[in-house]
Amino acid sequence: MKYSYITPRKKTAFTQEIQLLLSFFTITILMLLFTYAFLLYKNYTFVKDKKSTLTELASLEKSFDNMKASISFIERQQMLSEKVYTQNSVLKDSITNLFDLVPLRITLSEASLLENGLILYGITPNKDVYNFMLQAPLRSIFHRTYSSFYPAQNGWLRFVSTNYIDEEEELNSED
Amino acid sequence: MLTKLFEALYNKVFVNIVVKRSSTDVYIELCSKNGVIESEQNSFDTQFLSGEIIDFVDSFTKESPYYYISILDISSEQGAFPTCSKSRFSYFYDVSASEHKCVNDAWTFYTSKTDIYEIEKRYQKIGVDFIFSPFTLLSNFFQDKITASIAMYVLMQDGFVSLAVFESGTLLYAEHLDIEISGESEDVLLSHDESHEEEDPLEDGIDLEDIDVIDDMEDLDDFGDIEDLDSLEEIDEFSEHKDIEEELYEAEEQIVNSDDNDFNEDYQRFMLIKTALGHFYKDDKYESQFIENIYIADGVGVSNDLKHYLEEEMYLNVYIRHTELGIELSSLAKLELN
Repeated sequence: MKYSYITPRKKTAFTQEIQLLLSFFTITILMLLFTYAFLLYKNYTFVKDKKSTLTELASLEKSFDNMKASISFIERQQMLSEKVYTQNSVLKDSITNLFDLVPLRITLSEASLLENGLILYGITPNKDVYNFMLQAPLRSIFHRTYSSFYPAQNGWLRFVSTNYIDEEEELNSED
Repeated sequence: MLTKLFEALYNKVFVNIVVKRSSTDVYIELCSKNGVIESEQNSFDTQFLSGEIIDFVDSFTKESPYYYISILDISSEQGAFPTCSKSRFSYFYDVSASEHKCVNDAWTFYTSKTDIYEIEKRYQKIGVDFIFSPFTLLSNFFQDKITASIAMYVLMQDGFVSLAVFESGTLLYAEHLDIEISGESEDVLLSHDESHEEEDPLEDGIDLEDIDVIDDMEDLDDFGDIEDLDSLEEIDEFSEHKDIEEELYEAEEQIVNSDDNDFNEDYQRFMLIKTALGHFYKDDKYESQFIENIYIADGVGVSNDLKHYLEEEMYLNVYIRHTELGIELSSLAKLELN
């Protein structure tokens, strides 16, 4: 100080009123920033949730398609199984019927089922028993029947009976 | 940087307080960068900080945080001496209990630390930024004159007289006087002067035989009839831009009829000046030189009689320049801030 005995008090533009005003504005700006940050966070989480939901949706759709395919496959398998079961039932009945045809005096050693035929191996006491008791029913079932004999060691006859069902004749008979 | 920006945005308020004998003048300036926007002066009938003064000051200071309150020091224990060398301080005055400031490495003004503390305490409700000595105000007011040849410069306040002798910008002698206190010892001073009349350097130029205000009031009445001895040549010695102002002031002063109280006060002022000049001449501490010119900064409104006394009795060329102490304080405060 050049002329004054004392130095002036320090002056500041930040008076109490200005400080109050600045505090108010600072708090307001902080609140706005906080709200903005909160909204940004919410938006981020929303986008993230949306993305994960879409991914999940796509995954579910894919899973749904897979399930539909599985269901279709299972249905087909069921149908097939039913068909096989039916066929097996038919075959079982056929075999049961076949074995019912075999008289007690004839013994079968082997039976081979073909797609359109049946081959029987066995032993018979004689040709007559075979012809009357087995060949006759077989001829009523199959269209063509061929039999061949060869003697066994105990004096009986071993036989091979080959029987076929002709498809054309079958269809004609159905018509 | 930020502070300067804020400072530029706000106006500055300069509150200037001048304490008088029985009142207080408060002059307030509201300043922008371009100059004074608004100014207002109010006088309060108290010497102390009243509620009215606080309200008046607050009504302006609340407009800007950059406000500065200046006070003119009127303490009796103040003065100035012509050195800045600390080793020579004691030769003129014991400044151990005083606050002092050096000006231009040439002279020092001082005041009592107790008085500064008292001022700060008295105005603590509004605060004080600057306390100025009347001598700095005087030197600043007569800045254009003190650099010239030797002259006496007097600041007239209500109740106080501050005198200083400057030569080429250097202070030679200074004294601050309280009219009331000094008036009580006037008899002593007069008798002292008379007893040393033979040694008085003024003896040859001033005839004091007829001056005895206490014993012979009729002689004092005659002072009003003394012809104005101002010659045009004398006026020309003063700077031109001040001549018109001072002549107008003189003309106004002649119109005003001073009452007895003013008359008495002017005479007391005259006596104080005369005594101070005697001290300057007689005291070996000071480099006494003959003084021809006296410049008076009139902050109280002295009558033309004072001029006549000084011219008639002391053969001095008297130049009176009216001053508003509040404005001068304001300019000092601005100088301090720059």
